[in-house]
Amino acid sequence: MVDAKRNVSIWTKTSAAAMNPARRGNARKIAILSLLTLLAGAAYLLVLSYPEKPKLFAYVLSLRIPTLIVMVIAAFAIGCASLVFQSIIGNRIVTPCLLGMNAMYTLVHTAVVFIAGSGSVVARNANVSFIIDLIVMGTAATFIYAYIFKKTGNNVLYVLLIGTVLSSFFGSVQSTMIRVMDPNEYDALLVTLVADFNNVNAEVIALSIVLLGALAFFLRHDLALLDVITLGRAQAINLGVDYERTVRRLMLGVVLCIAVATAMVGPISFLGLIIANLARQLMKTHRHSYLITASALFGMAAIIAGQMISQHVFSYAVPVSTFITIGGGAYFLYLLLFTKGGV
Amino acid sequence: MNIAKLTKAYDGKTVVDGVSFDIPRGKVTSLIGPNGAGKSTVMGMISRLIARDAGEIGFEGRDLSAWKSRELAKKLAILTQHNNITMKLTVRELVAFGRFPYSGNRLTAQDNAMIDKAIAYMELGEFEHRFIDELSGGQRQRAYIAMVIAQDTEYVLLDEPTNNLDIYHASNMMRMVRRLCDELGKTVILVLHELNYAAFYSDYICAFKDGRIAKFGTVDEVMTRETLSSLYGVDFEIIRVHERPLSLFY
Repeated sequence: MVDAKRNVSIWTKTSAAAMNPARRGNARKIAILSLLTLLAGAAYLLVLSYPEKPKLFAYVLSLRIPTLIVMVIAAFAIGCASLVFQSIIGNRIVTPCLLGMNAMYTLVHTAVVFIAGSGSVVARNANVSFIIDLIVMGTAATFIYAYIFKKTGNNVLYVLLIGTVLSSFFGSVQSTMIRVMDPNEYDALLVTLVADFNNVNAEVIALSIVLLGALAFFLRHDLALLDVITLGRAQAINLGVDYERTVRRLMLGVVLCIAVATAMVGPISFLGLIIANLARQLMKTHRHSYLITASALFGMAAIIAGQMISQHVFSYAVPVSTFITIGGGAYFLYLLLFTKGGV
Repeated sequence: MNIAKLTKAYDGKTVVDGVSFDIPRGKVTSLIGPNGAGKSTVMGMISRLIARDAGEIGFEGRDLSAWKSRELAKKLAILTQHNNITMKLTVRELVAFGRFPYSGNRLTAQDNAMIDKAIAYMELGEFEHRFIDELSGGQRQRAYIAMVIAQDTEYVLLDEPTNNLDIYHASNMMRMVRRLCDELGKTVILVLHELNYAAFYSDYICAFKDGRIAKFGTVDEVMTRETLSSLYGVDFEIIRVHERPLSLFY
């Protein structure tokens, strides 16, 4: 009995006796959600894939498999980052968007086209542009947010406020550049400023997987402390958690996750708001093992479904991010008006 | 626990100024004093929630800062007045957090036994699987005490535990404090506003004024007309009820 309990992994850390009856189904919910995500993935690969024509089928798959992987990685990064971010802040209607990462991405891209021109290698080569995005956003975010955290004494509300100010600052700099830019250049630029899952190279995929894996490895202890962190600073310290250090590390993890996802597909971190809340509504637990998994799975299902609609219903005329923004906006209003807003 | 020359200033304004006293082991010690006297700040520094500017807090032979936070969590439990948990948490899950310093997220059979005991001790059995936010204020308070019991520490620090509780729940709370000390042998240190609760339920009282200790001693030593009058700047009368000093003020 004791051994059985000890063997349970860090992600399923309770005995059946400790469970609320309403919660016994959490493992099952995760299983159902995983199945649905798998089905969505399979549907994405196979719908209208012309399996009767082997050559065409192989071509379709060669296009769709990388896209699918990109969607899965981006959804995973955004789902985890958003949920962790909300738990640290203690509010379920915030998203890491508030840190100003989307605006930073937009600014970096505009600056590249502005300085080097849309025809340059830097702007045209997906790998180079991914690496530039990642390096610029990663280092800038790490330094800026680490500095802000130190300066404000880990006051997350100040960090949010500064993030919002930074967001409009980056936005202003970017719009100044756009005003003096050649219209043709602007046209080329605009395409990269909208979230897009097509045209991503395999090298980029490998690099992001390595980065996210390293992040998860370095933060594994901090992630295990998330349940306690949600109890608030006083309780976390009471229970022997180095609150400041853990929150700082987790925040940097959030920022880097968003940087990877945004560099890969563009600004879609608004999606995080939707999927993190769907996860909380479905799971009704405080255990982040379940919440994070559910959030990532919802993200995958949502992006894949959105991409299919964009692809098959609107023939690429309407990008996925449009659905995300419309759906997310409506859901956000619902959250504001009909729920209490706590974590 | 030995506190020596504890000092804290906010923006150049000294709120705690060279406070030194020893907390008697196995007793209930109340920190009292008017608003802004520094009692909560002292409590915050003892419970490591507030960083101190100077001074020492000796705890079992070592300074508090030399302890590992996780080890300290097995010796010293803190309960503050602000516990607005917004996430969905059942009573049992909250109490289970008390075992975190011992077993992390993985509860052992021994942990579950401790949790059962704490829940039974606080008579929370029937609420065990209810969500915290569905409980009344008094029940919630009991759930937090159960968590402290599950944490199984020798020292318990309570910051204004009777705040926002009505007379019924507040006196239950104070009786609980007494039981923690008498039945479970814990050293309890608490910040209190109600003088008579301090007089009736504690062994020692430490009275603060303007960031310094005005008087530290047994209940009878501190609860005198002169001390209280100079402490609060109000006329007091002390009468004795059940062998205890009861202060009257109006």
